[in-house]
Amino acid sequence: MEKIQTGTGKKLKSVSYAKWGYIFIAPFFLAYIVFTLVPQLLTIYNSFFETYRIGLQQIGPNFVGLGNYKALFQPDPNGTILILKYALNTLILWIAGAVPQFVIAMLLALFFTSTRLNIKGQSFFKTVIYMPNLIMAAAFSMLFYTLFSRVGPIQALLENWGVIDHTFDFFAIRVSVRGMIALMNFLMWFGNTTIVLMAGIMGIDQSLFESATIDGANSVQVFFKVTMPLLMPIFVYCLITAMIGGIQMFDVPQVLSKGDGVPNGTTRTLVMYLNGYLKTRNLGMSGAISVIMFIITGGLGAIVYKMLSAPYKDQNRKHRERKGNVL
Amino acid sequence: MNKRISDNTLGKIKLIVLRVIVYAILVFLTFLCLFFFYLMIVNASRSNAELATGFSILPKGNFFVNLKNAWNDDSINIPRGMLNSLIIAVSSAIITTYFSALTAYGIHAYNFRGKKFVFTFIMAIMMIPSQVSALGFLQMMNKMHLTNSYIPLIVPGIAAPVVFFYMKQYMESVLPLDVIDAARVDGSNEFRTFNTIVLPMIKPALAVQMIFSFVSSWNNYFVPALLLDKAEMKTVPIMIAQLRSADYSKFDMGKVYMFILLAILPVMIVYVILSKSIIKGVTAGSVKG
Amino acid sequence: MKKLVAILMAALMLVGIVACTAKPAEQPAAEQPAAEQPAAEQPAAEQPAAEQPAAEQPAAEEPATEEPAAEEPAAEEPAAEEPVAQGKVFNIYAWNVEFKGFFEKYYTVPEGVTVNWIITPSDNGAYQQKLDEALLNQENAADDEKIDLFLAEADYIGKYVDSDYTMDISKIGFTNADTMYDYTIKAASDVNGVCKGVSFQCCPAAVIYRKSIAKDVLGTDDPAEVQAAIDSWEKFDAVAAQAKEKGYLMTASFAETFRAFSNNCTMPWVDANDNLQFDPQITKWIEQTDNYIKNGYTLTAGVWDPEKTNEMFADGKTMCFFGPAWYYNFCMTNAMDPEKGCVGDWRIVMGPQAYFWGGTWLLAATGSDNTEMLKDIFETFTINEDVCTKLVENEGQYPNNTKVAEKFANDPNWGNTMILDGQNDTAIFAELAKDIKWENHTNYDQILNEGLQNKLQEYFNGSVDYETAMNNFYQLIKETYPNIKLPAA
Repeated sequence: MEKIQTGTGKKLKSVSYAKWGYIFIAPFFLAYIVFTLVPQLLTIYNSFFETYRIGLQQIGPNFVGLGNYKALFQPDPNGTILILKYALNTLILWIAGAVPQFVIAMLLALFFTSTRLNIKGQSFFKTVIYMPNLIMAAAFSMLFYTLFSRVGPIQALLENWGVIDHTFDFFAIRVSVRGMIALMNFLMWFGNTTIVLMAGIMGIDQSLFESATIDGANSVQVFFKVTMPLLMPIFVYCLITAMIGGIQMFDVPQVLSKGDGVPNGTTRTLVMYLNGYLKTRNLGMSGAISVIMFIITGGLGAIVYKMLSAPYKDQNRKHRERKGNVL
Repeated sequence: MNKRISDNTLGKIKLIVLRVIVYAILVFLTFLCLFFFYLMIVNASRSNAELATGFSILPKGNFFVNLKNAWNDDSINIPRGMLNSLIIAVSSAIITTYFSALTAYGIHAYNFRGKKFVFTFIMAIMMIPSQVSALGFLQMMNKMHLTNSYIPLIVPGIAAPVVFFYMKQYMESVLPLDVIDAARVDGSNEFRTFNTIVLPMIKPALAVQMIFSFVSSWNNYFVPALLLDKAEMKTVPIMIAQLRSADYSKFDMGKVYMFILLAILPVMIVYVILSKSIIKGVTAGSVKG
Repeated sequence: MKKLVAILMAALMLVGIVACTAKPAEQPAAEQPAAEQPAAEQPAAEQPAAEQPAAEQPAAEEPATEEPAAEEPAAEEPAAEEPVAQGKVFNIYAWNVEFKGFFEKYYTVPEGVTVNWIITPSDNGAYQQKLDEALLNQENAADDEKIDLFLAEADYIGKYVDSDYTMDISKIGFTNADTMYDYTIKAASDVNGVCKGVSFQCCPAAVIYRKSIAKDVLGTDDPAEVQAAIDSWEKFDAVAAQAKEKGYLMTASFAETFRAFSNNCTMPWVDANDNLQFDPQITKWIEQTDNYIKNGYTLTAGVWDPEKTNEMFADGKTMCFFGPAWYYNFCMTNAMDPEKGCVGDWRIVMGPQAYFWGGTWLLAATGSDNTEMLKDIFETFTINEDVCTKLVENEGQYPNNTKVAEKFANDPNWGNTMILDGQNDTAIFAELAKDIKWENHTNYDQILNEGLQNKLQEYFNGSVDYETAMNNFYQLIKETYPNIKLPAA
């Protein structure tokens, strides 16, 4: 029966197998609708209401239209629009960690896969650099806090060397707190990115490198002309996941700054802001922040995806064309 | 001197210099990564008073005392928490990878109406941070009476857009549709094809994503903290968070470090075991696209 | 044929998913139907999760099936005093293990009852969030899931007391309030004076000083003379300057004296029309602290920070700490450290201003099915003189029992050997306890008190100027309680 079907041509075949596509993606969508979509719709719905608690007393829900959004974009007495400030904080913290993360990860992935360099002890290095990713963000942050606190070993060491005096406080200086957060994010994620990128590079057909080298390309050319374009899907994947992680940045700054975003709210991220409203179950304001975050991420994601996936789409088309020929 | 030889030696010298630089970078990064782990282990072996004196590079003899104190602590039942976390993390790692692969395969291998839309849709929802719907999620779970249950921590893993995306990308590079056609010719039905032919082919991707899911589930704090409050259901991160409350000035710091160590140790063990198979899987390479 | 099987499998799976999400909604009364459902979907991996709680607590789960019938009458006729059927599970919500320790040592749980502790740290209001969620759900919860008893702190007790989620303790038979300190009853009473719970401690607070440092600074370490030297804030400030000259710190945290001011406020943080108001006491604290920081009399550490508690080691340079009896156990473990501590180098005096700090109240949750046990617990920790005596003797507490307190205060042989080298601290606390008043408290106090400290800490450590710090404080209020009207900027 099946044999006959395959024999009779592609039209019948595509008709008879299409339903499997639906069946295979059905669980995903069911789970998505129940556990994500409905809560998200609830969140958006809530954002148009004034609803919070004073103690055990529920205020609202009263419909306020775009009132919550207006409140979010109202400047404080100093003229600062807080949500923009926190969005900028999030961006700065992410970039400060992500740039070194991707540069180092790419370098390491190339080192590890280079047959010429032939790095020894690879599995050891790989195991080690991935390790920080396993540590609980909260626990890691706690460790940093104790290390750099006023009674911590780093302060004591630097004081002994005369670099700083006793009144010095790492947590009162914007650059140092942001730097610590960026360093932690870097340490936690560069190993992860390295491994994923490596997997990508190793998936590339070795003969392509060989023929490029035979054609006289140097290693830089090979990287930009062969490795990078073929690696693009995986690279985009890494970048997008890193961005999602960046937007969601919470545990590390939360613990390090004791939830306050010290100094002066300069390390307070969007999710920390959101979290502030959860205290009083302020579904209206937190809903509005969520919607804005959704818009920001959506926009950023679209841009990155468009920019970086152009060459990949070309390649994909070629792939399909080839496939078409085969059929 | 012959020009050829000097070129050759120059190349060799260059390679050696390059190797030295590369190894230096690797050693530095290794140091950076291990330093904090090391410091934690050292601190987990010191007593409260020793810890207050600041920095120490050598471990002290309090390791097993701290271990005993932490393991038997009556307010923070860490063995129980580790068991709970393990159950959740293993289940959700299996569910997440299996269903993500299934979904990715559904999109990769079949042509159906709306496929493009479905793919774009998943890409779009991938960008939405999970925290933004946390309150809606909690509201729902309350209504469904699923608080203090592990279901909301495991089952939503079926819809993991990020894992799906990785699987899709991976399948595109290693899974030619010819293989599936061949299986069909041999009379294999679609589910069997997926389970017995496709899954083994994407093993490295499964392993990688399994680790990632395991770790993120193990370390997940935000949602479990909202949902679980029964002592016997608490997971490790909730217990760790308990340490950083104001009361921690009351805690023995040696014990605190021991808790943190215990919290990350199982993940490290799992990783060390699985990392070999991943690297092997990747190196061996599967079907090239 | 094979396709058919596959379709069936897929359908089964879908049904499994739908069932596990839909079913609990259909039958909310069922205990935990949810836990068993996913078996249809992922048998091997999930099963243990579902079974764990049951395996762990056979006592808790089993009676659940038989009990409800027996409990029904209890709910309907609470007036019937004696034959009330009692629940088998007693749920206690708390934010730390302080009371748990006392409970386990001094209270005998009736046979057949399992006590569940649900402990959530109070950081960033997390404890209250959890508690509120549970209380709001109390009505729908199964009897064995209902909160029976929960703990609350002075800063937010009003929120629970003034609600229907706590119950009149006279209704469960607790009436003997004669020996309790008046303010502890007032704190646990709603606007109509109906008392909803008790405290197991009374928290008059004093100044605990380092004997050796006082000797060096003042030339004397005698409590009476030290008290004479610091019995007003002016004198206290003067001594701070003297201490500084000798290379010491007066206090180790910018917020150390906060409670001494804030619990003497003459008006609440928020008035009847939701206007934020600054009490002169708060303003005075800000001025004093500003002065202390500028002159180097104190540190920029918070009250709970290790930088402060490290000052309690023998090599610490700080003369005074402010705290009640619970402070010994809670904050002074470093002072009692066997290697680096300085037990015995401490004395206690009343200090510049009488005040109280904190305190933990036990509140009876409406809907509890263990009312007898509740009453029992309340009595154990308030009127049971034996237990109160042990709390003083073994735990360094100051009891919420005037009779026991006076007994120790007047006992010439009694002294605190835990840390004060035999000084009778109970006598000092007893004197201070007479003056404690419970007034001018609002439900906003925790956020406002902690928020003010946290935001001003940034001013004191030099990262922002005063205006910015205050603005940050106002923004915090706006974020947390949109109803509070801020002073016009």
